[in-house]
Amino acid sequence: MSAITASATLPTRRLGLRAQALNPLATLARRRFQLTARTPRELLVPLLTPVMFALVIAPALKSALHTNASYESFVAIGTVGLLIPLNTMFAGIGVIVDRENGAQRELLTAPIPRALLVFGNLVVALAITGLQVGVLIAVAVARRIHFSPTTSGVAWFVASAALFAIGMYAVAEILASRVPKQEEYIARVPAIAILPWFLAGSLFPITAMPVALTWVAKFLPLTHGLALMRYGLLGETTSLHTIWGMSNPTEMAGLSLAVTAAFALVLTALSIRVFTRSALR
Amino acid sequence: MDPHAIEVRRLRKTYPGGIEAVKGIDFEVASGEVFGLLGPNGAGKSTTIGMLTTTISPTSGTARLAGFDVAKHPLAARRISSVVFQEPVVDRSLTGRRNLEIHARLWAVEESEAKARIAEIADTLGLSELVDRPVGTFSGGERRRLEIARALVSQPRVLFLDEPTVGLDPRIRAELLDVIAGLRARNDMTVLVTTHYLDEAERLCDRLAIIHSGRIVALDTPTALRADLGREIVELRVNGDARSVLESLRKRGIAGDDAFTVGSTLTVPLHEHTSGEAIAVVSELGVASAISTRQPTLDDVYLRLTGDRLAEAA
Repeated sequence: MSAITASATLPTRRLGLRAQALNPLATLARRRFQLTARTPRELLVPLLTPVMFALVIAPALKSALHTNASYESFVAIGTVGLLIPLNTMFAGIGVIVDRENGAQRELLTAPIPRALLVFGNLVVALAITGLQVGVLIAVAVARRIHFSPTTSGVAWFVASAALFAIGMYAVAEILASRVPKQEEYIARVPAIAILPWFLAGSLFPITAMPVALTWVAKFLPLTHGLALMRYGLLGETTSLHTIWGMSNPTEMAGLSLAVTAAFALVLTALSIRVFTRSALR
Repeated sequence: MDPHAIEVRRLRKTYPGGIEAVKGIDFEVASGEVFGLLGPNGAGKSTTIGMLTTTISPTSGTARLAGFDVAKHPLAARRISSVVFQEPVVDRSLTGRRNLEIHARLWAVEESEAKARIAEIADTLGLSELVDRPVGTFSGGERRRLEIARALVSQPRVLFLDEPTVGLDPRIRAELLDVIAGLRARNDMTVLVTTHYLDEAERLCDRLAIIHSGRIVALDTPTALRADLGREIVELRVNGDARSVLESLRKRGIAGDDAFTVGSTLTVPLHEHTSGEAIAVVSELGVASAISTRQPTLDDVYLRLTGDRLAEAA
């Protein structure tokens, strides 16, 4: 044992500035990914409902309501708006498990900014959400649901989905930091992940709802996210027009992207603050 | 001059709701010293460690690790320290090695160096055969050893051990005490250990602070703390009022200011008299149903200072 001697040298001096910032983040993200990969339910469960929608419910609605193929496409994008909140909220459970039965306290004593713990989780939640959205789109395409992507359209779609996922993961982190038990967390998930989905124009245009609810929907980040995703993958501008009442699609898309980005930024900043404060007694 | 490895000044913590867990404590620990915080549950030991490891914010006062103020320079303070928590704090679904690697990476130990250190520490702590198994399959003692190994991977200048043997069966506890005692051999590593086990404190620590209700009530070497109670102790089981018997013994010069009563038991440290002289006086008074003599223990020290037996308070 005496062969090991304590070092007075501060270890970070040996590493570059970039490595100091990126190495811990990569370590935390890799750890989170390894933990997630050992709990397949975190990967599979959020995917079940949206895939069910894309494969079964959307075609059934089309048949029952005598709608055309574009409605299937409309609902397929709508299911992305369910998948993202479900997946990110499920990812939040990992934060509680970490705190109650995992190594979170050890990580809090590490010589790294505590915000990196949130970012490490976010990176993995974002990657898994991206993978699941890809699976959902692939399943929809296999089911012969039609999309009309362009390069710029895909960029709008990805930006919108990514920003919305970041914002929703931040919501999950905040909730996980605020509630003490998994049971309480899970009890709140439907209100946060599913209720807005019904109001945000997932299955029908928001103008189909009473005027008051249409106005409520215009303030939901998910409404902007879905409108952008439809603009990106379907070239559909009606959803954006319903929100903004303008004629220039790019301008409306830019505004909705700004709303989604603001949602992501503000909530992420808040989640870091809430996590840091709750971690420090 | 080198700063103390740990320096605590008027450190205080009041939790929301007005609960004063730590009430303005002062102590310093020299480099290479093994320092113990001895006290029952709720005395403020873990809160003190929490403040020193920057997971609890002090209400007032200062704490420095190797000169780094834990409130003003928390990253620097964390960089030179590691902690073994009272409860298991590990990723159970990951292997032992992965837990060690994560610590090494976060404490910026270079990969090749980390690999060598992990192999050496795993070997030293008897983990080589286990380290590639998921931690969820470890026994309590194995997991504890893994947590100690993890804390050592970054070669901390200050190591915090918060109740390291609590909840372990006696055999595993004895093994772990050997491991912790072995840490003393590490050059320049300062260890702060909290415990409510007297034998543990006596065996491991160069100096001890006895902490009671958030205050340090005594601080010295275990030998000096015991020496304050003289060479020998006479313990009496008293018929009637123990306090009046104590007064009688004081008047006869047998009991000093450090004699004390707990219920019907009277404990009399002997400084100038022999146990024979003390027993003779007690017999003459005819007030004791039982008399015994023994060496002073840290429990006597604790009892005199706090009015509680440590084992009962814990």
